[in-house]
Amino acid sequence: MTSLRLVRAELRKVSTTKMPWAFLAVIATISGITAIAVILGTDADGSKAFISTAADQKSLMAFAYNGLIIAGLFGAIAVAREYGHDTVVPTFLIEPRRHRAVLAQFAALMLSGAFLGFVGTALSMGTVAIALTATDYSFMLSVGDTTQLLAASSFAAAIGALLGAGIGTLVRNTGGAVAALVLVLLIAPPLVVQLVSDAISWVPGYLANVASGVIGFDDVGMAAALIAMAAWAALPAMIGLFVARRRDVV
Amino acid sequence: MDEERFRSASNRRTNSTQQRRAGTVGPALEIDHVTKRYDDAPVVKDLSFTVQPGRVTGFLGPNGAGKSTTMKILLDLASADQGTAMIGGTRYRDLQDPARKVGVALEPNAFHPGRSGRNHLRVLADGGGFSPARVHELLSLVGLAEAANRRVGAYSMGMRQRLSLAAALLGDPPVLVLDEPGNGLDPQGIRDLRALLRERAANGDTIFVSSHLLSEVEHLADDVVVLNKGRLVASGPLAELQRDETLVRTPSRTNLIEVLQSAGGTVESRDENALLVRGLSIDKIGHRAHRAGIELHELSPHSGSLEELFMGWTDATNVDTTSEDAREVRSA
Repeated sequence: MTSLRLVRAELRKVSTTKMPWAFLAVIATISGITAIAVILGTDADGSKAFISTAADQKSLMAFAYNGLIIAGLFGAIAVAREYGHDTVVPTFLIEPRRHRAVLAQFAALMLSGAFLGFVGTALSMGTVAIALTATDYSFMLSVGDTTQLLAASSFAAAIGALLGAGIGTLVRNTGGAVAALVLVLLIAPPLVVQLVSDAISWVPGYLANVASGVIGFDDVGMAAALIAMAAWAALPAMIGLFVARRRDVV
Repeated sequence: MDEERFRSASNRRTNSTQQRRAGTVGPALEIDHVTKRYDDAPVVKDLSFTVQPGRVTGFLGPNGAGKSTTMKILLDLASADQGTAMIGGTRYRDLQDPARKVGVALEPNAFHPGRSGRNHLRVLADGGGFSPARVHELLSLVGLAEAANRRVGAYSMGMRQRLSLAAALLGDPPVLVLDEPGNGLDPQGIRDLRALLRERAANGDTIFVSSHLLSEVEHLADDVVVLNKGRLVASGPLAELQRDETLVRTPSRTNLIEVLQSAGGTVESRDENALLVRGLSIDKIGHRAHRAGIELHELSPHSGSLEELFMGWTDATNVDTTSEDAREVRSA
């Protein structure tokens, strides 16, 4: 009961500032750019081969990796600002068993991330479907494809939010948390792949595409991809949880 | 604050509190040999005192004296290196439903500037399991009903203080821990705050208030706890401490200062021949002067203002007062 109350409080925190609207605006912008690309873009040979098959369209509308990054930023900023504005103090006063408070915060941000991922894919599908009416091609995704894209982006974005929240809990400074997230999601993976080429199948971008079904399951299966994505987020989240339990709030 | 509205809401609260807590008093706050260091620099040193229920206790000290750190240790926001801090014999983290047991307002106020005052309280109400009606009631109580939907970032300091007080009162707790609650309040707001705290103390609540506003504490507090450089320099009923001064006139000023300081007293020069002595009883002062062969022209009790006392307790020449000295101040 207490945990549900805490999650509810954290959801209200998230929903009572302008930050979610800013992130929804970013998502809407990405969807708009995708739609414009559908209308105006061509392949190198001048054709529109990039939207000519269901697989091409699925790849175009796959939002899981975008969702992972966007929700990661959302989680990192949300948590770091909690510490920056000291609003974590009343939270810890209401629930001094801090692991519960931090877990409630993580849960609320994962739900928020999943929402952002879901909306991102839905908007992407909607704008692409409208844009396709201006081309010679129709919307080709099956119900199964649509469901998979929505589920994959929701899952990836929830994981991204957890990753960001874990980093935000550790770093506690908004700029530092964003920089750390960019390092983890965008800078470190290509560097690791350069050192160990087999690692390419386990970096977040690749795993998100496996979850979306736009990359085959030859080397990484669906279950393994989901578990690996969760592991990327679980590590900083667990360290953040451990550190937050006894750290002085000053 | 709107006085009529404030009184009306305050009376409603009083009635409900009296019904809920008939015949009960709040728990005592116990700080027991607490020491805290940051980067090996001691911020609080072997600090011990008790805050009694049914009384308003003022927590005083210069900037950096360790007041906020002590409050944070009491509330488990910071950990003590040594010692314990208890609320009714229980650590804060072990309290069941702490938002209904302890109301807290710490400096600096913890608000998201983009969130409205109403939503700030609703977040806390959700977490603590309080009804939306309670949020509305408290916004009216502190006079923020009309500004409730404005962003906190647009609030004045006084409005933030009132919002902070509303947050502390959400659970109608029997203990209030308030850090500088009067900062930024207008005279009417300070008067209303004083009335509210006095009323709660009269109902048996435990009120622990830090403040730099000495004149306000003088009007408000029953007891004071005074820190300087992390150490306790005085504590006890304010009225007794204010009587704990002796005015001495002597032509041998320098000799007498030496004698009294070596006996553990603190001495402040008033004019050419007059000294104000704290920490020693009038009998002891007379005895020491007699034994040293020092002529006295006056030896009389003196009641000082809190400001005078505070300056004496925290004067740079007396800052090395030990806890033993402090206890002597209390018992002298």
